[in-house]
Amino acid sequence: MRPEWRKYLSWRTPRYTSFPSALHFDEQVAAADYSQRLGEVGLYEPLSIYVHIPFCRQMCWYCGCNMRVENDYGRALRYVRALSQELHLIGDALRGAGRTRAVHFGGGTPNYLKIEEIGAILGAIELALGLTDSARLAIELDPRLIGDGDVARLAALGFNRMSLGVQDFDVEVQAAINRIQSFDLIEAAVGEMRRAGVNDVSFDLLYGLPKQTITSFAETIDKTIALSPDRVAVFGYAHLPAALPRQRLLDAAALPPEEMRADLAAMADDQLVGAGYRRIGFDHYAKPDNPLARAENEGRLRRNFQGFTDDPADTTLGVGASSISFVGGLYAQNARALGDYYRQIESQELATVRGLVLSPKEARIGRTIREILCRSTADIADLLAALSPMEANAVCARLDELAGEGVISWDGAIVALATDARVLSRIVAAALDPYEAFNKDNPTRRLARAV
Amino acid sequence: MGERSELAERQCGAYDRPKTCDLCDVRERSICADLGPREFAHVEKTMARRHVAKNKSLMVEGEPNESLYIVVDGSFRLSKLLEDGRRQVTGFLFKGDFVGVRPTKASAYTTEALQDSTVCFFPHRYLEEIAIDAPGVKDRLIARGQTEYHKAQDHIVLLGKKTAEERVISFIDLIGKTIGVDDGSARRTVPLPMPRQDIADYLGLRLETLSRTLATLKENGKIIEVSRHAVVIAA
Repeated sequence: MRPEWRKYLSWRTPRYTSFPSALHFDEQVAAADYSQRLGEVGLYEPLSIYVHIPFCRQMCWYCGCNMRVENDYGRALRYVRALSQELHLIGDALRGAGRTRAVHFGGGTPNYLKIEEIGAILGAIELALGLTDSARLAIELDPRLIGDGDVARLAALGFNRMSLGVQDFDVEVQAAINRIQSFDLIEAAVGEMRRAGVNDVSFDLLYGLPKQTITSFAETIDKTIALSPDRVAVFGYAHLPAALPRQRLLDAAALPPEEMRADLAAMADDQLVGAGYRRIGFDHYAKPDNPLARAENEGRLRRNFQGFTDDPADTTLGVGASSISFVGGLYAQNARALGDYYRQIESQELATVRGLVLSPKEARIGRTIREILCRSTADIADLLAALSPMEANAVCARLDELAGEGVISWDGAIVALATDARVLSRIVAAALDPYEAFNKDNPTRRLARAV
Repeated sequence: MGERSELAERQCGAYDRPKTCDLCDVRERSICADLGPREFAHVEKTMARRHVAKNKSLMVEGEPNESLYIVVDGSFRLSKLLEDGRRQVTGFLFKGDFVGVRPTKASAYTTEALQDSTVCFFPHRYLEEIAIDAPGVKDRLIARGQTEYHKAQDHIVLLGKKTAEERVISFIDLIGKTIGVDDGSARRTVPLPMPRQDIADYLGLRLETLSRTLATLKENGKIIEVSRHAVVIAA
């Protein structure tokens, strides 16, 4: 990384999986608003369904997700019943409209649930919203919880994308994050996926974890390449112990220094690209024949709450505790705590507790920010036109500085990220974000490092 | 006749203009039945008949269409492409159904023959000319038939049903009302000329669920017989 860019390593930005980010959601949005927007969905409008399973067998100390360690499977069964009820409430509001094109199971740990329950949730989606064989089904899996025959049974249910939370193969790093899983275990899981005909296998890796070194992480990437997943996501670990008490269990002294984070990311990038993977956005990689790479190549890459995606649906319906839906310009987030979620669903009400109505101005800003994140280049004329003169001046001043430092080139209305500055994508997004001034005045404990 | 009709002609083979409509076996049931003799004489003059081979398209989504079509024999599948490039079956047309109710530069649906079929077609331009003499002729022409707009209504009603059994049995009833044949002993044969995959797609069900549901319906007696291209229900 160029020396003049090092200062950005300590900057904190939103993740820009949405704009405005979930930090701007408030209690103005309630279940009735969500229900109303669902009623306006078009008959053949593509729907993308996200199912959140908040349970884990064991706590990983780095985790920033909404999860709980659960030892009583009976509680998970109650959750599955509530999911089914929620899906039917959504179905009642849709009244037959919308076509389910993609379903994504995330967590927590979706395979904390037995395959029977996962099948039951798919059945509920089928009856409440409609589900056909051409829908793409994806699931995140904890390799430690994959039982005999599970992968084949998931494939038989129609899951054609499976993603493994690998994080890091190094034993010491795994001990430091409380997630011990051997290479053999991951290798066996990938083997089962291949035998079951799953041709879209994805690994999630994390850099910036305690005990990570350049050498150890290079080895993790080598092992990843040896197992040949179709996609790899290389996320930066977000250490936010003030907001996420469980992260206080990590040995903060063992975290790699700031400047090493950029080096770890750059090294992973070199190795993966050298092995033939295509860069997708700023933290995903995919084999050239993978649908994600094809989407990138054809300019169809999108960004949603799961990261970069080829899912073309504008409308995302999130079910389960803390899930976020986006429908008709409305963001609606479900209650986070299980008790609150159950209370609303069991009283036959959608579980929305907060959200945001996207203003036309925010829609225009969001489009430009997604453009720069997904394509590394954007026409900012529309964004500037949407802003107040004061906001536009501030954005231009920030872009000027970035252009001066070579992070971007800025010609007329076209802003393009320098090829070696992908890792600073979120800094550029933040420069375009008029709300960012607000965030800097209030150094929030909930924003992660940009790099 | 517009370019579209020429295209259709190329796709579907030569069309012929019957010397008389008297032989049309759907006429009595719906088509033309509400027209007065003078209107009918006009319509008969502008109408032409065309054979559409199995799997050939009558109308293509996104392409212009200038004619009103009436299914005289056979059946068609209506479908449209979703934003992700996948096809969604949106309805089925049978004998007596209409499609292409309004002239358009970009058809909303693709209409493909499920079997060798025959349609009559009326160029909208001529229908409008007739309308000067006989106002409302198009409305009366389609008064008894089902159009693509009725099909969309049917579809949303079916998709709103919350059990697979309800969806499947309602679908069979719907088709049975249009092309079901009573055998005189309280049994009605409902032809299913479309592949199972089309039915599953149309009903928002997985193929396995559809097969299982048909089996269940047969077990509990709601369907008397199931075969590949027909089911038998109580009349």
